[in-house]
Amino acid sequence: MLPPPNVPPGEPPAPGGARPQASPGPGGATRDGQVATEELPLAGGQGTSEAAAAHTAAAPRRRVGEFVVAAVTIALGVFVVVDAGTIVVPGAAGTMGPRAFPYLVGGLLLGSGLLVLVGLLRGRFGEEDDGEDVDPDAPTDWKTVALLGCIFVAHVYTINIAGWPVAATLLFGGSAIVLGARPWWRAVLLGAVLALVIQILFGGVLGLSLPPGPFLEGVSLFRG
Amino acid sequence: MTVVLAYAPGDLGTASARAAGSAAALLGARVVIVNATRADRLVDPRWADEAELAQVIEILDDAGVDHEVRHLRSGSLPADVVLEVAEEVDAELVVVGLRRRTPVGKLVLGSTPQQILLRASCPVLAVKA
Amino acid sequence: MDNISALMDGFATVVQPVYLLYALFGVFIGTAVGVLPGIGPAMTIALLLPLTYSLDATAAIIVFAGIYYGGMYGGSTTSILLNTPGESASIVTALEGHKMARLGRGAAALATAAIGSFVAGTIATVLLTLVAPFMASWAVQLGEPDYFALMVVAFITVGALLGRSVPRGMVALALGLFLGLMGTDTLTGQQRFTFGIPNLADGLNVVIVAVGLFAVGEALYVASRMRHGPVHVIPVEKGWRTWMKPEDWRRSWKPWLRGTVIGFPIGTIPAGGADVATFLSYATERKLARKHKDEFGHGAIEGVAGPESANNAAASGVLVPLLTLGLPTTATAAIIIVAFQSYGIQPGPMLFQTQSSLVWALVASLYIGNLMLIVLNLPLVGMWVKVLQIPRHYLYAGILLFGALGSYALSFSPIDVLILLVIGVVGFFMRRYGYPVAPMVVGMILGPMAEDRLRRSLTISQGDLSYLVTSPFAATAYVSILVIVGLGLWLKHREKRANAELSRLGEEIREESQSQEVN
Repeated sequence: MLPPPNVPPGEPPAPGGARPQASPGPGGATRDGQVATEELPLAGGQGTSEAAAAHTAAAPRRRVGEFVVAAVTIALGVFVVVDAGTIVVPGAAGTMGPRAFPYLVGGLLLGSGLLVLVGLLRGRFGEEDDGEDVDPDAPTDWKTVALLGCIFVAHVYTINIAGWPVAATLLFGGSAIVLGARPWWRAVLLGAVLALVIQILFGGVLGLSLPPGPFLEGVSLFRG
Repeated sequence: MTVVLAYAPGDLGTASARAAGSAAALLGARVVIVNATRADRLVDPRWADEAELAQVIEILDDAGVDHEVRHLRSGSLPADVVLEVAEEVDAELVVVGLRRRTPVGKLVLGSTPQQILLRASCPVLAVKA
Repeated sequence: MDNISALMDGFATVVQPVYLLYALFGVFIGTAVGVLPGIGPAMTIALLLPLTYSLDATAAIIVFAGIYYGGMYGGSTTSILLNTPGESASIVTALEGHKMARLGRGAAALATAAIGSFVAGTIATVLLTLVAPFMASWAVQLGEPDYFALMVVAFITVGALLGRSVPRGMVALALGLFLGLMGTDTLTGQQRFTFGIPNLADGLNVVIVAVGLFAVGEALYVASRMRHGPVHVIPVEKGWRTWMKPEDWRRSWKPWLRGTVIGFPIGTIPAGGADVATFLSYATERKLARKHKDEFGHGAIEGVAGPESANNAAASGVLVPLLTLGLPTTATAAIIIVAFQSYGIQPGPMLFQTQSSLVWALVASLYIGNLMLIVLNLPLVGMWVKVLQIPRHYLYAGILLFGALGSYALSFSPIDVLILLVIGVVGFFMRRYGYPVAPMVVGMILGPMAEDRLRRSLTISQGDLSYLVTSPFAATAYVSILVIVGLGLWLKHREKRANAELSRLGEEIREESQSQEVN
């Protein structure tokens, strides 16, 4: 019988530096005593106290967010109803003019927004979507989302300046790196290959020519 | 005196474990088993589970050497993790399994053994299957 | 019956090599995304929508149908081998199937799931073949107020039942209706909610909204909470002989049939959905098991056979209201309607008459798809497991890329991609705060149509509102809303309790495996 590896079962990584992607540079190995057993995302036991703390710590911010969302909904409902009033009704509109449905929709927005608000006041907060690939206990990583948004915007502006393949490489490579791909050049390389393949496929096979951009203008393969 | 074993499950891993055991026995050293993952995908074939680690420990016990297990999750690439551990324990030798890979394969998928071979500051034992 | 001959024509179409290839492509992609957690048929179809414009309608629909079915098959592979459901309907399979895998019987679990899916899928498709034309021919008699009532049923059931919270679902629905309003009113030519932006004069493109909500929003949400921790796969025994022993067959065949019978009707009613069907089937199998009752929770094969069959049968069931009434009952159904609409085809009672060849080709492709799936799935398990080795960062970067590509390819306007991002961000926040995304898409698709029907009804009745409820069908529809929503909420409540218990069991298994000593 083997001596079991000396392990505190399910010992969670330290809360702050828990997420490997946050660790900078080469010195980022997490050490959890002698042996850290793999921690599956839904592990119960010792994992939950730390995770629960992270969860409730996030909760106050989410609560504010919830109220904001409800408020926005109600405001939107009001706006829709008011703006519907400005829709020009031509004389021969028939029994139901262009304003009727907007009024209904605005009313629905208003009504359901109020329902949500009432629910919030009674303590019923929304359950966040638990897709299968989501870590339910992790705090929200706003930085990553913001970075992805910026890369997306950069992609949009690059399409017409430098051509689609470059823009696509930027999008794929940038997103992959932000999401944790290492080393960076591999992500960019893969992005470039993917972008070029798509460019050829679309141009040649599907007949939809994406703008090749200044670098690839000359190559007819990419122009479709 | 310490020997670092960069371990990944499989026949190659078993062979490297045996080689590490023999080497450590010869040197009178203990073995630090390193198995790391970047935790970036749902299924990582290089991540050892308890059963596999137990098997490695058994091999090392048969060779009569002391051992320590470092089962790590880290954002760094596995090669970097191994080299860092080697630095830390001031290793005499690093043992790693070497798989045949085409140049393109090495470019696209990366080659941990190659990185270790090139960057280690101590001797490296490359084990073939 | 000339439905049979129409079906035969459909087969004749699908059997052409080109369409067979499309079907193969569809089921392949479908299985691959079914295997991957976090990515599902709805997102995949949304991503592929703009890219299939150059295909003819039949080819595109065949591809999407393949993806739809393939997603069901792929999900069970992941659930069984990993204890992590690939598709959300599979928490039950994850439990029993994974337990079986830990006991070294993974191959049998996979086999029973695949064969059950095939049996259920085929039988359910036969039922679809029989029921759908019947319903369609009856539904042709519907008048304007009836159509409107139908849409109201769709709105309310989808809004109330497709998410976790009724008020939030209604908010999502209302948002979708609002987006549908943006643009020029067809009847009076007035601009509504365009804020003076010329791009919006034609309204928002539904495809962009769908891709933004289902794909980009999901990618952003997952990015904000990336999961860590690789899970080890249980190796599957090689060789056909270890797959299913005679006893396994004996124990499985009744659950397969029961699952089909449970799943199909549930799929046809609004917001039944696969979740409810799997849970009901599991509960049934547990109640009916006499000899093997204590195996439940520890790897009872009936617990895999039944729910997997129910899952697939429900998926076929969803197609009944979709094709005959144009009523979407799940998120994926909503996307399929978007797909139809982008070819100018409106699912509904007239579909079987105006687009008979397309519909029957679709049905024929379902049979063939099922066959392809069972052939693909069992031998290729090893390959599907390899799909799980794709690093997440590349996966989600790819989703973002394809989303951007699709939006751009619609009209080669970078503005569309920006709109995509905005919608994606909205989708992100919706997921974060627990607002279901599917009702928004349904609201946007059906909103303009509902307004249209309402207008026509009122024009016919010259403003008499009671016309809307005097038709027997409409009246029944409105009343049934209460019944359906009530039933749906009750079922969801039961399911939630059962799921809580099951995931507790699942956690126990995980803890067990972590502290396991091996001799």
